[in-house]
Amino acid sequence: MKKSWRFYRFRNSFRFRLYFLFTGLIALLTAAFTSFYVVAEIKSYRSTLEREGRLLATVLAQNARLPLFAENQEALSLLAQGTARYPSVLFVSVSDKDGRNLAAVGDDRKLEQGGIEMSVPVTSPGQVLSPEAVLLGHKRVDEEQVIGRVHLHLDPSTAKERLNKLVAAALAIAVLFWIVVSLLSYQLLKRVTSSFNRLLGGIEEIGSGKLSARVELNGNDELERAATAINAMAASLELRELENLSLQEELLKAMRLEVQEEKKRVMARLIHTNKMTSLGLLLSSMAHEINNPNAAIRFSGHNIGKIWSDVVPLLDGVLREEGEFYLGGVPYQAAREALAQNAVNIVENSERIARVVQGLRDYGAGDGGNQRPTLDINSTVSAALTVLACQMKHGVQLKTSLGSDLPSMSGRQQQIEQVLINLILNAMQALPNGKGEVLLSTRYDKGAEEVVVEVRDTGVGISPEAIDRLFEPFFSTKLDKGGSGLGLYISQYIVAEHGGRLKFSSQSGQGTVAQVILPVEPKSA
Amino acid sequence: MGILKPLLTALFLLVPLQAAAYDILVLQSLREKGYDEAVKGARRECRASMRTIVLSDYAEADLTRIVREEHPRMVIAVGDRALEVADNLRGLPVLYMMALNPKPRQNVTGISMLLDPARYLGVFNSLGARRVGVVFDPKRSGAYLKRAQSAARRSGIDLVEREVRSPKETPAMLESLRGRVDALWMIPDLTAVSPASTEAYFLFSQGEAVPVVTFADVYLSMGGAVALGIDRFDIGRQLGEMAQRVLDGTPVEELSPQYPRRAVSKSNEGVLRRLKAMAVSGAQ
Repeated sequence: MKKSWRFYRFRNSFRFRLYFLFTGLIALLTAAFTSFYVVAEIKSYRSTLEREGRLLATVLAQNARLPLFAENQEALSLLAQGTARYPSVLFVSVSDKDGRNLAAVGDDRKLEQGGIEMSVPVTSPGQVLSPEAVLLGHKRVDEEQVIGRVHLHLDPSTAKERLNKLVAAALAIAVLFWIVVSLLSYQLLKRVTSSFNRLLGGIEEIGSGKLSARVELNGNDELERAATAINAMAASLELRELENLSLQEELLKAMRLEVQEEKKRVMARLIHTNKMTSLGLLLSSMAHEINNPNAAIRFSGHNIGKIWSDVVPLLDGVLREEGEFYLGGVPYQAAREALAQNAVNIVENSERIARVVQGLRDYGAGDGGNQRPTLDINSTVSAALTVLACQMKHGVQLKTSLGSDLPSMSGRQQQIEQVLINLILNAMQALPNGKGEVLLSTRYDKGAEEVVVEVRDTGVGISPEAIDRLFEPFFSTKLDKGGSGLGLYISQYIVAEHGGRLKFSSQSGQGTVAQVILPVEPKSA
Repeated sequence: MGILKPLLTALFLLVPLQAAAYDILVLQSLREKGYDEAVKGARRECRASMRTIVLSDYAEADLTRIVREEHPRMVIAVGDRALEVADNLRGLPVLYMMALNPKPRQNVTGISMLLDPARYLGVFNSLGARRVGVVFDPKRSGAYLKRAQSAARRSGIDLVEREVRSPKETPAMLESLRGRVDALWMIPDLTAVSPASTEAYFLFSQGEAVPVVTFADVYLSMGGAVALGIDRFDIGRQLGEMAQRVLDGTPVEELSPQYPRRAVSKSNEGVLRRLKAMAVSGAQ
């Protein structure tokens, strides 16, 4: 795998491609030149043979001039034999101008296909005049007279052998040349491309993230300029990297601080929630502890009332009989009514305590299974007001306007009560300096078959930025005043569970209107 | 009267004039520069009036009628054909020049085209050649060679003769002279020296390292060593003097044929130098 990868890299390297192209080009050029040379030789071998034959025939014709003129057949035969000794000559003949064969050497039937037949005229010497013309001072003229012919048959096989050797030698030289040039070019390219490789290695090193690496190249060529540019780029990147690292560290520090602050806030909320849970448990415990003596008080009140009703006729008799007398420093006439009223007050307040305690216990118990198939909104409002009675401050004017035609509806009174308590508390807390008016009203929207509970205050209102985040958990504008940021989140959840919706409309500085809209018949979820 | 005048003019123009009388009828074989030079030389020395007829201009010239009507005192024949034609003109003295093969006849004399053999023998003497080969046709040059032979004997030169009857025999005859001669004499014999066989002389000269003494300087460029040629203008002058003597009353019979008095000698120094060098190396 490693070897194949190395081969793949080598095959795709610039050096290999350049070497491949160069050697390929050299091979093509060498092949082209060799082919051209061979083709030219093939073409020229025949002309060379013809030229050689013509030369031989011309020499023979020159030498045979006088013997042919003298019709000396012996001399002509000797000359023809001398010419026939040449390897490429198959047949030689000399004939006079009438075509008579005066000398012949060789076998003219051996002329093979592709053989060359040559015929050269034998001429009398040109520019030679007769004695008479010479004496008359004639100028020499170039007029040759044909006195015979020399015939030559040439065998091209020897030339072919020579040509084959030549082609083989040319191919061998071409291959040798190619090998030598390829080796030399490889060494040359190795030297030339080493700069490329160093440049590439540097770029790869920088690309792998080692921005401190630099490309070391000497010279003043394009590569050196490229290396300088890459080094400058790497230096710039290194600087940016350092800046980024610095910024990241600062960011991490900032994030750590923010997380710590957020953690503190969350922990505060958790502590607050834990407190609330503990408060719930405390309320349950307190309800239990209060209810026992309260029951005794109520029982005592009842007993006092009963006893007083039984005692009054007796004391009336005494009055009638004895006249005015005092009970506990109070004249009987005044004490008679006051005591009866006190007994009633004891019972009523005890019951009130019981209701308050029950309300606190129910609030702390949460979904305690206190489900009522029917929900009376007005009594739920009253219960909420009862729970909040002790929270009322002197500057708060709490007004109620309860609708009388509210239909009965199903729902969990305790949960709705919790919602209303949250809304009323928010309204009271929104009043500037704790002074203002809070109007609590209920009504029935017949058209929509919905019951609407509205809590309107004259407080500071809600900013547009905050009104969109009212239902976010842990969002509160009063975290510093003990707000958990969960009240409206839970309230919205409860109302939604009842198939209704919780709406807020407010303008900054002009108070807020919170509406709990509950359907008479809960919609199927 | 108006018509008579043109008629008389036309008649006058149409009537042939009587030819003016002249002394010498010059018969020239053909229009040839060499012949013209010779005729010019003759006119230079002979102030007599002449009429020249170039035979090649006519298909057949009626010389008999011309001679009968014009009455020339003598005929100068220039060239062999002119001499042949002039031979038929009986009764008139005939002087010839530029004829290669004149035949001795009565009333005919002239200047030969061949130089005196003694002049050539003098050249051979100066070259130090004792044996001189010569190829000739007895029919053409027999008489000349006979005179040459006698002159050679007087000069102590052995003239080795080879007779040929056909130009084809020349190379073989030259071959037969190998090793037997010190020099070769090329004479203007149309049989012995033909365009095809001329180079055989010079090949022989090269092979045997013997000089060729020839009759014209054109052969020097082919390998001849020495050329002893004629001066055509001077031949004309020589004949002109002879014609003047005839016109002055000297009978033709008293004037024997003459060799050209002036010879033009030229040599190829390069050939002579090489032959000398070859002879020295051969002797060593």
